Amino acid sequence: MRRIVITGMGALCALGHDATSTWQAMRAGQSGIATITRLPAEQLKAGNVVAEVKAFDPLARIAGQRATMMDLAGQYALVAADEAVAQAGIRFEGELASRTAVVVGTGASGEATRDDQYRRLYADNASRLHPLGIVKMMINASASHISMAHGITGPTFVVASACASSNHAFAQAAMMIRTGLVDAAIVGGTEACITLGTLRAWEAMRVLAPECRPFSAGRRGIVLGEGAGMFVLETLQHAQARDATILAELAGAGMSSDAGDIAAPSDTGAAAAIRAALSDGGLSPQEIDYVSAHGTGTQANDSTETRALHQVFGEHAHKLAISSTKPMHGHALGAAGALEMIAAIGALREGIIPPTLNYQEQDPVCDLDYVPNVARKQTVNAAISNSFAFGGLNAVVALRSWR
Amino acid sequence: MSAQQETYEIIARQAKIDITTITLESTLKDLGVASLDAIEVLFDLEEHFDVTLPNEDTDFENGTVGQLIEAIDRQIAAKQAG
Repeated sequence: MRRIVITGMGALCALGHDATSTWQAMRAGQSGIATITRLPAEQLKAGNVVAEVKAFDPLARIAGQRATMMDLAGQYALVAADEAVAQAGIRFEGELASRTAVVVGTGASGEATRDDQYRRLYADNASRLHPLGIVKMMINASASHISMAHGITGPTFVVASACASSNHAFAQAAMMIRTGLVDAAIVGGTEACITLGTLRAWEAMRVLAPECRPFSAGRRGIVLGEGAGMFVLETLQHAQARDATILAELAGAGMSSDAGDIAAPSDTGAAAAIRAALSDGGLSPQEIDYVSAHGTGTQANDSTETRALHQVFGEHAHKLAISSTKPMHGHALGAAGALEMIAAIGALREGIIPPTLNYQEQDPVCDLDYVPNVARKQTVNAAISNSFAFGGLNAVVALRSWR
Repeated sequence: MSAQQETYEIIARQAKIDITTITLESTLKDLGVASLDAIEVLFDLEEHFDVTLPNEDTDFENGTVGQLIEAIDRQIAAKQAG
């Protein structure tokens, strides 16, 4: 079987405008969550606390005039992809152009463009809309722009599974590389969901909280975030042939559907995805040291995720270091798994586990080791990264360290 | 005037339960009103009384129907005072 390695990473979120600053903030236990600045806070209730990307200048980060035809979600994705490609030191020339895939996970994309268009239409009674509305808001725009900017002509598409989109994207890219359809892929996720319409819709669902406190007693819900994480995957052989620096091995991926409730999570469905990822990656449960958790901070997710870990790992569950970085970068929905991949790769490479911030005291239904509040030095040989979406869609990625 | 009768009617209709099973001490969870249904009940109550119920007054795991009615009465009083 063709082994897959990660040779480049890029990120943009409330913690920083690149993967290095994002990881540095994670290992330092910093948070990018604050009162909203992009919208008047008084227009919102619980949604007035978010993890925003601040001081982002798309024209300074994206070559030429391309940024002017993109929604924020596409801009984030392309900036992160550019960084990942630069780090990997890869050029998509000759045959490699058609033997590379682009797969971007995103829950919605286009939110800022849609919000702006509909405000003009319904509130301002505008007689005309901006002509680039459609090409900005179409959900596939981010993948298309990455393909165009880097001259990649292989399979290019987005994957949508709400909060599991990024991990489903990793799974699709990994399968294409394994089967020999392509030799490399740019893969990750993006979301730019901090708009009035989106925040008000999440408020209506009563899941937003003024703080994100995963796995802790007293947790009250999620804080929305935004951003993108993008990675370069390639076969081990391809990476070694060009003497690339290998960040980690993507050992496997697992997917499942609860076939249950549209919103409430299922421990059975989550456990099935974790088991599938371990099996696909040829990893025994005892080999896993770290879990980059979905850990949203809702009552239901965190207790359900804990039960799923008990079911899969048995006694070993108590030996796992588990953390959720969502109190740092917020819940970035379709980009969540990609940002959390930064945490997992950092832990594998540096032996530092980023903490679960805002942890106060144990909830009896969350009885594992969540690395509360302070980062931990610990060798990590293998890790999983969990994503469980509304709609009951689960995707888990398994990683091995590369030394 | 308490919002009790109207609240009972809205819960019974949304949850498709017999109104006589609802008491002030019931929680929505006791009444079998699961997560999304509970959010819809709260939305129906907000629309009916034209009030906004803060998240802290709408604990449908442990909060009782009586507490919900008190919260609605408080919001109605605040609206009339404002």
